[in-house]
Amino acid sequence: MNGDVATMSQGPSPTSMDRQIAQCANEPIRIPGAIQPHGWLVAVDWRDGALVAYSENWRTLLPESGDLLPARIEGVLDPVRAARHAWIDGEGPVSCGTLVIGGRRLHVSGHRLGERGYFELEADVEESGNRAPIYSLARHLVPMMQRTAAVDELCRVVVAEMKRLTGFGRCLAYRFDAEGHGEVLAEALDGGYDAYAGHRFPASDIPPQARELYRLNHIRLIADAHYEPVPVRFVDGRDGTALDMSQAALRSVSPVHLEYMRNMRTLASMSVSIIVRGQLWGLVSCHDHAPRQLSWQTRMACEHLGQLLSLQIEAKEENEQVTEQLRLRQLTLAIVAHLADSDATLQRLVEEPGPLLRLGRACGAAVILNDSCWSVGETPDRETLLTLGQWLANRADPVWHSDRLALDAPPSLAAALAGTAGVLAISISRLHRHHIVWFRPEIVQTVVWAGNPHKTPTTERDTRLHPRRSFSSWKEQVGGRSLPWTSGEVHAVQELRQALIGVVLRRAEEMAEVAMELGRVNKELEAFSYTVSHDLRAPMRHIAGFVDLVLEMEGQGLSARSQRYLAHVKEASAHAGQLVDALLDFSRMGRSAIKHASIHTGPMIDDLVAEQNAMNKDRRIDWVIQRPLPRLWGDPVLLQVAVRNLVANAVKYTRPREVARIEISAVEDETGVGLSIADNGVGFQMKYVGKLFGVFQRLHQSESFEGTGIGLASVRRIVERHGGQVDAWGEPERGARFSFTLPTRAMQEAQAPEGDAAAEANIDTDTHRSLSPGGAGAPRAADSLSPDS
Amino acid sequence: MLKPILLVEDDARDLELTLVALERSQLANEVIIVRDGAEALDYLNREGAHADRAEGNPAVILLDLKLPKVNGLEVLKAVRATEALKSIPVVMLTSSQTESDVVQSYALGVNAYVVKPVDFKQFVAAIADLGVFWAVLNEPPPGSLRAARRYE
Repeated sequence: MNGDVATMSQGPSPTSMDRQIAQCANEPIRIPGAIQPHGWLVAVDWRDGALVAYSENWRTLLPESGDLLPARIEGVLDPVRAARHAWIDGEGPVSCGTLVIGGRRLHVSGHRLGERGYFELEADVEESGNRAPIYSLARHLVPMMQRTAAVDELCRVVVAEMKRLTGFGRCLAYRFDAEGHGEVLAEALDGGYDAYAGHRFPASDIPPQARELYRLNHIRLIADAHYEPVPVRFVDGRDGTALDMSQAALRSVSPVHLEYMRNMRTLASMSVSIIVRGQLWGLVSCHDHAPRQLSWQTRMACEHLGQLLSLQIEAKEENEQVTEQLRLRQLTLAIVAHLADSDATLQRLVEEPGPLLRLGRACGAAVILNDSCWSVGETPDRETLLTLGQWLANRADPVWHSDRLALDAPPSLAAALAGTAGVLAISISRLHRHHIVWFRPEIVQTVVWAGNPHKTPTTERDTRLHPRRSFSSWKEQVGGRSLPWTSGEVHAVQELRQALIGVVLRRAEEMAEVAMELGRVNKELEAFSYTVSHDLRAPMRHIAGFVDLVLEMEGQGLSARSQRYLAHVKEASAHAGQLVDALLDFSRMGRSAIKHASIHTGPMIDDLVAEQNAMNKDRRIDWVIQRPLPRLWGDPVLLQVAVRNLVANAVKYTRPREVARIEISAVEDETGVGLSIADNGVGFQMKYVGKLFGVFQRLHQSESFEGTGIGLASVRRIVERHGGQVDAWGEPERGARFSFTLPTRAMQEAQAPEGDAAAEANIDTDTHRSLSPGGAGAPRAADSLSPDS
Repeated sequence: MLKPILLVEDDARDLELTLVALERSQLANEVIIVRDGAEALDYLNREGAHADRAEGNPAVILLDLKLPKVNGLEVLKAVRATEALKSIPVVMLTSSQTESDVVQSYALGVNAYVVKPVDFKQFVAAIADLGVFWAVLNEPPPGSLRAARRYE
């Protein structure tokens, strides 16, 4: 490759070799103290123009000068010396025209670095007018470059042009990957040159200080790898290595690099930097088997071409980035829109898998909410997902990704995730294990290296550092990796994360508002009930009371008809009073808190049967109680009210039967366990079953069966507040059967998995829970999140 | 002389029914009638219109819950907060058993809580029982008139 220094393949011992590698990385490439022999260098004081240093080969250009050489150099430079005032510190060389010295026509270029000015002289080549290399670039190449669609195509155009301009035998363009390895994207070559297209050069081929120099100085030519360096001499006798030659075209390079070139069978090389967004993106690199000199004009054209390439790559990459960002943002929008349309619980994400998978270009994705998970596409099994969720929860970062899980995840987890090499995860909550995870499969890649980068050094008597010698193709299988997660993708899921937090938070706020509204309505209802209970009940009492008094005091004097009428008034007011009482009880039932306990229904039924028998001593009731009766999990007081209503109903509606038969048994199905109460009473038509449980709905005339029409409504309300179900069956004159089931304790607790733990720390969960003051809505799994970032 | 019963009732019809009930319970105690909470406190504290009344606390206060101006709970609270009054038995009479009322009444130290039944016979029975228990059978706290009489 083209670094000034190349790594070694030999060394006496590992420790010694490490030291040599370190020395290689420290080699002072900016101050070699020498130049290449194809030109002449002069350094002057930038302010006063006085000579500071010169290359020793001036002695051949100005022979027989003896001690007067410095003065003679100053003399011949005199025509161009004033040009230094136009130079800008740190910028590359600019042309200062030509000089004729000793009968030779020489091109002069110059640059400024700090307080020094540099003049570099080389043999001038006549290239002017339309044939000047720089014009051909502008005329033909720029339009061609603009027509290319992709970066590698662009590179092909540029290497072909670079080869044409320079006449080198091989011209490569390569890009550095994240680890610094160079991947050859395009090449143009003559017969007899090895092809490197698709090959990789290991990062170690170019040490860091060489990369940094490529970033500053965009072109570097080595005209002949066999050259003898020409020392640079300071006029005050200082060592030549005090002169910084970072921007000098003639700068001499490391002998290790020259050896590298010779090992590569390259005698001339030129490198042009590709700088994208201030970073060394790659290089255009030209090689020739023979020494090759390039004119100043050609080199300028090459440097210019490199700049054009850099700009085009930057534009194309930015274009691609914008397009990609747009695509990812649209996907994010689609995902968020879908979620916003639903109930905003995160597991809904897997219902619309297309955008979710495309966003992460993933083979599978999963939503992990504590101990539940929902997945789509190819994902690890449930157990592994939950383990992954637990592991992710211990990491602080809201976004975590890896394209080589085997290295980044603990071994047991990586083993469980076998086949999956890439994971991208976002955390939606700080308090809970709420994650969205994308998966990418392992991709086994074949990397073709230009020479074995892992080759162990062979012993050699010489203990000096040597660059590697083999550049023949060496294939390596790279596994355990997925496609890398791009910064665009990581950014997109970060955006998605923010949006999801927004959606879920907003939903939580809405829920809180609804809860507040419900609370307000409840308070109003309470006030209403209070008023009704006092103000409606009092008149009923007065009517009943005064009618009683009239009947008592004047009863004897009243006609039988008047007495009957007053009796009706009294009964009516008593009934109205009962209605008010029943309605109040019913409303209280909906509002009072449920206090759960384990209820043994056996003794409860015994008590209720005894109660009914005591109230109906004149009746014959055949009780059939199928034991054992179940244990239920609920509020003992409320459940007793419900069961009493059912038993009392059975007794009431069997009144016409000479012998009533009431059967009480246990029921159990997937909704839970409960009781069934069947009778042989008057029954009802199934078409009215829907009306049966409504408030004030009655299917019988009140003369036949007294009642307020609230009993079954109360039963349903109590059962539903426990999350249970009621059922009814009837047939006119055959009988009726009412049953209910309540979720078991285990089922009720499973429905509220976050229960107390969530209540401790999480506001949102609380609002959700208080949302159902009268209902038995199962708490949702995804109803909490932490408002962070 | 028996101590009087203080009946605090704003509703004329309820008042009449309660008086009939008390009459039928054949209690010998005088019944003092006041029509709102403020007047009840005036009577008890011997202030305002009742500044000139004879000394001594009633045997029992029959207190309606819903009253104009100062409601039953507030009267109860004031009675319990006043050193001279706090040992008077208070029976809360109310139209319904709204849970919060019951809880508050007991929290404030009520002695009994009676929901007026719709049925008049039950009402008479309830009032009679109350009167007998609190005005006749109940041993008044030391310092009350009847206890003093015992030492006469």
